Amino acid sequence: MGDAKQKTDVLQGTLALMVLKTLDVLGSLHGWGIVKRIEQISGGLLSVNQGTLYPVLLKLEQEGSIDSDWGVSENNRKARFYRLTRAGRRQLAAETRDWEQQAAIIGRFFSVKAEDLR
Amino acid sequence: MRGLRRFFRRFRSLTTTRQDEARLSAEIEEHIALETAANLRAGLPPFEARRQAALKFGCIEAIKENYRHQRGLPFLQTLTQDLRLALRRLAMAPAFTMATVAILALGIGATTSIFTLAHAVLLKSLPVAKPDELYRVGKESRCCYWSTWSQKDEWSLVSYDLYTYLRDHVEGFAELAAFSAGEDSFGARRGGSTEPAGSYPGEHVSGNYFSMFGVQPWAGRAIAPADDRKGAEPVAMMSYRLWEEKYALDPSVVGSVFNLNDKPYTVVGITPPGFYGDQLRDPPPDFFVPLHDDEADVATPNQYWLDVIGRGRRGVSAASLEAEMRTGLKQWLGAHWSQMNANERALFPQQTLYIRPGGAGITSMRDQYEHWLRILMLTTAFVLLIVCANVANLMLLRGMERRRQTSLCMALGAQGPRMVRQALTESVLLALIGGAAGLALAFAGTRVILNAAFPARAGLAAIPIAASPSLPVLLFVCAVSLLTGIVFGFGPAWMATRVEPAEALRGLGRTTVRTGSLSRKGLVVIQTALSLALLAAAGLLTTTLQRLENQDFGFVQDRRLVVNADPIQAGYSEKGLTPLYRRMHDSLMTVPGVSAVALSIYSPMGSNYWGAQIRVPGRTPAGPGDESDAAAWNRATAGYFDVIGEKIIRGRGITEQDTETSKRVAVVNEAFARNFFGSEDPVGRHFGQFPYPDNQYEIVGVARNARFSSYPALNKPVGPFFVLPEAQHDYFRLPDGKDSEQHGSHFMRNIVIELRPGASPLLFAQIRAAMASVDPNVPILAIRTMKEQVSGQFIQQRLIARLSSLFGILSLVLTSIGLYGVIAYNVSRRTGEIGVRMAVGAARDAIVGLVLRGALLLILFGLLIGLPLALAAGRFLGSQLYGLSPYDPVVLSAGVIALAMSGLAAALIPAVRAGTTSPMDALRAE
Repeated sequence: MGDAKQKTDVLQGTLALMVLKTLDVLGSLHGWGIVKRIEQISGGLLSVNQGTLYPVLLKLEQEGSIDSDWGVSENNRKARFYRLTRAGRRQLAAETRDWEQQAAIIGRFFSVKAEDLR
Repeated sequence: MRGLRRFFRRFRSLTTTRQDEARLSAEIEEHIALETAANLRAGLPPFEARRQAALKFGCIEAIKENYRHQRGLPFLQTLTQDLRLALRRLAMAPAFTMATVAILALGIGATTSIFTLAHAVLLKSLPVAKPDELYRVGKESRCCYWSTWSQKDEWSLVSYDLYTYLRDHVEGFAELAAFSAGEDSFGARRGGSTEPAGSYPGEHVSGNYFSMFGVQPWAGRAIAPADDRKGAEPVAMMSYRLWEEKYALDPSVVGSVFNLNDKPYTVVGITPPGFYGDQLRDPPPDFFVPLHDDEADVATPNQYWLDVIGRGRRGVSAASLEAEMRTGLKQWLGAHWSQMNANERALFPQQTLYIRPGGAGITSMRDQYEHWLRILMLTTAFVLLIVCANVANLMLLRGMERRRQTSLCMALGAQGPRMVRQALTESVLLALIGGAAGLALAFAGTRVILNAAFPARAGLAAIPIAASPSLPVLLFVCAVSLLTGIVFGFGPAWMATRVEPAEALRGLGRTTVRTGSLSRKGLVVIQTALSLALLAAAGLLTTTLQRLENQDFGFVQDRRLVVNADPIQAGYSEKGLTPLYRRMHDSLMTVPGVSAVALSIYSPMGSNYWGAQIRVPGRTPAGPGDESDAAAWNRATAGYFDVIGEKIIRGRGITEQDTETSKRVAVVNEAFARNFFGSEDPVGRHFGQFPYPDNQYEIVGVARNARFSSYPALNKPVGPFFVLPEAQHDYFRLPDGKDSEQHGSHFMRNIVIELRPGASPLLFAQIRAAMASVDPNVPILAIRTMKEQVSGQFIQQRLIARLSSLFGILSLVLTSIGLYGVIAYNVSRRTGEIGVRMAVGAARDAIVGLVLRGALLLILFGLLIGLPLALAAGRFLGSQLYGLSPYDPVVLSAGVIALAMSGLAAALIPAVRAGTTSPMDALRAE
């Protein structure tokens, strides 16, 4: 139970970042479009359980990072379109920086070989 | 920041649930439609395209649930659900709900009203600016005059001279103010009006009194240092209360002239509403005048009549203030070395003073009532415990009844914590309702207690204690109710969830686990024990009151009236009083039904007395700190002893033959004779009052001991006492060469009237008329019967006795209800067993006996534990008791019997019901 919960937490955190980045790159998009984009780039992260995106979208919207409005989708139906807000842009920039820093640190650790420490 | 925004959005979405649900469904539907369309484009057949889309989306219901969790505030939503369910459940069990709420309301109400009083009297600060900066002189408050150059234990009263010395020399105080320690009263009348003078309480205050307290006048200006000087224009401030009630906020009052004690004063300002002076007083002062109004007291350096409160400078500690004040006191005393006698000089090194926080003002009320309030707080704490035990019992029973339902819920998959939470919600809700009801009850209760303790007097302000609970009291009530709800809800709820669902469902409500039975019995035992302690305390206090009221006072209460009138307030001075008294006496004697009249400074059990240090020729004066020379005294007109009914056992009383020109005489009581003359005959002997000659008075008679005052304590023997004739003035040569007399001792404020047998005591109107025919300006402060005057001394004791009896009876009733509940529940659970017993031949009496034995055992256990508690309660009351031992066996056994009887009566109902069980019905119910 604890394990599964942790996994979803991680997933939600990464998912949120991916959503922000997607909207940053592609502008206004509906849920299915975001899913497709993430699938395309991550190679199967959301190939099952696409629905888990929606709670993440809700949380981001509640936090004010994204905003949403009704619009018309490709097949001429009513759909909810999400777009990045200014706060969301700031958040994305900050999280990108954090992520790169972390990745750099971890990367350095992995690249260290035993003989380097002698 | 983001978290906060999210919280508000979640909060707002509580109101938009329906739209949000619709939006989610639409989004999901659109998502699947888009995915299906994509699958179709990829070449899948329509059915498969739709199926794949749904599969990829995941479990729709789970996602919706997750979404909902994110959207609203699940905690709040669960709470509203639980609350709604709890309300429904409580409404379905009205008897249980009403009983619990009523019991809780009684317990919380009683505790809260006593706590409100205790908070107001013991803890509350004065309504002045920054009360925490204030310091007072003295650990104890003293009353009201002192005149030696030494004070026992500590200096708490100061003279004007000492006050100004300290004010000018102690640096640590930003401001130091002084005010009269005793209660002053003024005969007040608006200048130019013809109405008779009304008597109002007042206070003498130093010029910086209001600026020291940081109190701004409501109208006009405050008394200023310039007003408190010799020869300054006489000014006064009036209370907002009097201004509002008597003068309807008339702005022309400010600046107009009022006659106070027949002397004109300009009212310069009104004190703000809510300001009641420097201490809790009943009634609070209505007039404030500068200290210099009392010229004689201001001019005497060793007349100590002032209390002192000062505002400390920022950053100065109490310890350094104390050190500085002590130095000031010693320097001042040193400057008066030549005026001190040998005893006072010997005591000089021990003279000291203490600085105490002064934010609560002079705490004489606290000193007086602290012990009583502690007793009451302890009593109500016991009542609250009994109430809690009762509520716990009710909750346990409810938990038992609910067990099957809980088991069913859990068998259907409900989570344990959620079940506990739901039960807790219910009990906390119940406790909060009880707390709210208790608060209402407490408000009414405090009112009633205040009215009983401090009866309202027409035209005067009520004691400044608000009946409405203050913030700390409200928090206290909240905490108590929440705690009751949580503690007594959690246990049963937790126990209910521990049951194996299968077992509960199998056994037709019969279980093999007897959970809670022992704890419920334990609760009843504790209740019985606490009740015994409360009943014993109530019995002791009630018996004390009876003994106090029925003791031999040594004077007669029947057919006696006491009139309080104050010639000072009509502007009379010491001279020319004797003819006034003569005229009053003669005028009152013409009232039909009056058989004798005498005037005196004090009447028995009225209030305080004058004190004196007695010197007898040839007797060594007592050393420093020894009080064996002390005596109390009174001054009276001829016939006083006959009028109050105090018997003369040797010699004679005060008569008409004692005049200004005859020899100075005194009549003493038995205690005086024994203390100063042992077994010798005192008649014809002489004594004097220190510091005057020791042969001042000749003793002409000895009177029986009569209780003249409730001070120092009603349970101590009557002390030495003497009475001087009104007509004789005492002049003495003082050390400074001036002549003096006993200042103020010729103002006879008490007129005692003896009525003929059979005369109506309702002569008040005739008495007022007779007094007015002598001088309409002398205000009549009160007229009452001697009986009322005596019983007025027992107001506190009566109140405490009644309250503790009330609490005792309450606890008795609650304990009986608790016992009834436990026995009845046990009987209902044992119906099957009883049926079997009867089927195999048990007699009905045996069944009744079986149940009663069980109840008796519980009561016995309770009494056994309660006995030491009751003894401890007696010990705690100790000093408040009169005429009986704290371990009085009669009171204790009465308590034991009352408890045993009411307990058995409570158990009898279920026992008889058990005895009348029909075996067939019982077995069929199985």
